[in-house]
Amino acid sequence: MNTVFKNNKKLVYPALLWFAVFFLLPLAIILIYSFTADYVFQGNRPAFTLANFNEIFEKKHYLIILGRSIKMSAITTFFSILFSYPVAYFLAKKTRFDRILIVLLMVPFWINYLVRIFAWKLLLSENGIINQVLLWSGIIDEPFRILYTQTAVIMGLVYTYTPMMVLPLYATIQKIDTSLVEAARDLGASRIRAFFDVTFKLSFTGIFAGTLLVFIPALGSFAIPAILGGTDSVMIGNLVENQFFHAGNWNFGSAFTLTLAALSIALILFYSRIFGVEAIYKSREY
Amino acid sequence: MKRKKPVLLTIYTVLFFLYIFAPLILIFIFAFNSGEGYNLPLRGLTFKWFNEFFSDSMAIKAIKNSVIIAVISATVSTLLGTGLTIGVIKGITRFKTFFITVLMLPVLMPSLTIGIAALVFFRTIKIPLGIPIVILSHVSISISYVFLIMMGRIEGFYLDVQEAAIDLGASWFGSIKDVVLPAIFPSILAGWLFSFMISWNEFIVTYFLIGTELTLPVYIFSQLRFGISPVVNVIALLITLFTILIIISAGLIRRLYGRLSSRIIM
Repeated sequence: MNTVFKNNKKLVYPALLWFAVFFLLPLAIILIYSFTADYVFQGNRPAFTLANFNEIFEKKHYLIILGRSIKMSAITTFFSILFSYPVAYFLAKKTRFDRILIVLLMVPFWINYLVRIFAWKLLLSENGIINQVLLWSGIIDEPFRILYTQTAVIMGLVYTYTPMMVLPLYATIQKIDTSLVEAARDLGASRIRAFFDVTFKLSFTGIFAGTLLVFIPALGSFAIPAILGGTDSVMIGNLVENQFFHAGNWNFGSAFTLTLAALSIALILFYSRIFGVEAIYKSREY
Repeated sequence: MKRKKPVLLTIYTVLFFLYIFAPLILIFIFAFNSGEGYNLPLRGLTFKWFNEFFSDSMAIKAIKNSVIIAVISATVSTLLGTGLTIGVIKGITRFKTFFITVLMLPVLMPSLTIGIAALVFFRTIKIPLGIPIVILSHVSISISYVFLIMMGRIEGFYLDVQEAAIDLGASWFGSIKDVVLPAIFPSILAGWLFSFMISWNEFIVTYFLIGTELTLPVYIFSQLRFGISPVVNVIALLITLFTILIIISAGLIRRLYGRLSSRIIM
């Protein structure tokens, strides 16, 4: 049987080679760029420097963008949990039509998010549809101005990534044994207490998996703030794009990209330490 | 234990689905509205935006590029990913956890990092931007998705059959070709569809690597950044129909899979 395994093992190599050259090597190269000051790979040996990171963590401007991106992604994650928890609970415990509803929920997920963001631009703009309806019905006298603010970006992020939160939550809540809740109730816990002490605590795995799937892409988002945001909502992605396409400072841009990568890898490792790697792919059942 | 119907929860869920779908339905309505802007009330039915879209050579080219990129990268990544999955399930024994974690990175890391890293890499080794390198990068991402999908669906059982086949005298190559591949074929199809959709929807990596060419998401982005034409509604409608078609066919594959596996077990 050993030769079977040995031959099977060889099937791994083509994919691994491709992955190493076109995914891992590029990451290694931005690592080199972020610790050097000049355009590397042009003959002269580059010198090691921390200048790029010093700039990020000393200049207020960059720290503000970094902090803002983290804050906006955290708010997005919070609202996506808040919005999707009741739905996930309903799908997992209270309906027989959960399968079909999950498929339905995946439909917008598979439609390009730029299209969905476009819809929000139509809704939120000053002469947009919400404003028109509110003005026409006399609820407000003046149109509200939300488009091109942080609020609009957060609304777009929440809308885009909330379906990602529902799935792992649904999968986890479904596995919770209802008799545990009944036992808590029999022992005298109120409905609310039983929910928070049993169901909610047992669904932490799902909440954390969902957080990975929402927080990380939100942190690295670039198109949504570019379309819905203004000057007060520049995020890491927009800054990085600017460094590479306009300012042309590759070393600094790489350092910023690496900071983003490090943040997300830290989260991923933390998660796989606690819950195991299998939880990552098992939480994504489409 | 008797329970009341969860009225509030049901209402909330309905509202949630409305929240998810209303914006989409809105764009579909405006795809047929004859008015110029997005003003209520609606002006009446028209197909002029469809005409405008189909006579826009840039849009057609963008769709063509998107399809080419998605088909090639789905095919290559499914080939590579299938081998990877078989090897990881029945083959690799040491460092399996580390291996899987690293392979999950493209799925979990922000695409922005992947896009920037690829851009810097290809510029450093002096390969010009364009469709070929978009495909190279898409494959490196999709391999992980194919792996993810197939790992979730293939159970060890299907690969145990491989050992049985070899015991009965099949060569290793024969056991892969005649036993393993037919058994996991539905997962291979699902992996292909999945990576097709990943590549078809991929925006950020493509945006950084495509240079002066266009794909559909890049085209939509440029339309959104500089003014909003109702043509985008038409694109949105067509994309949605296309997506629903894909989801239905994925469902059919799964149903077929169910039938096949029950037949194998019996």
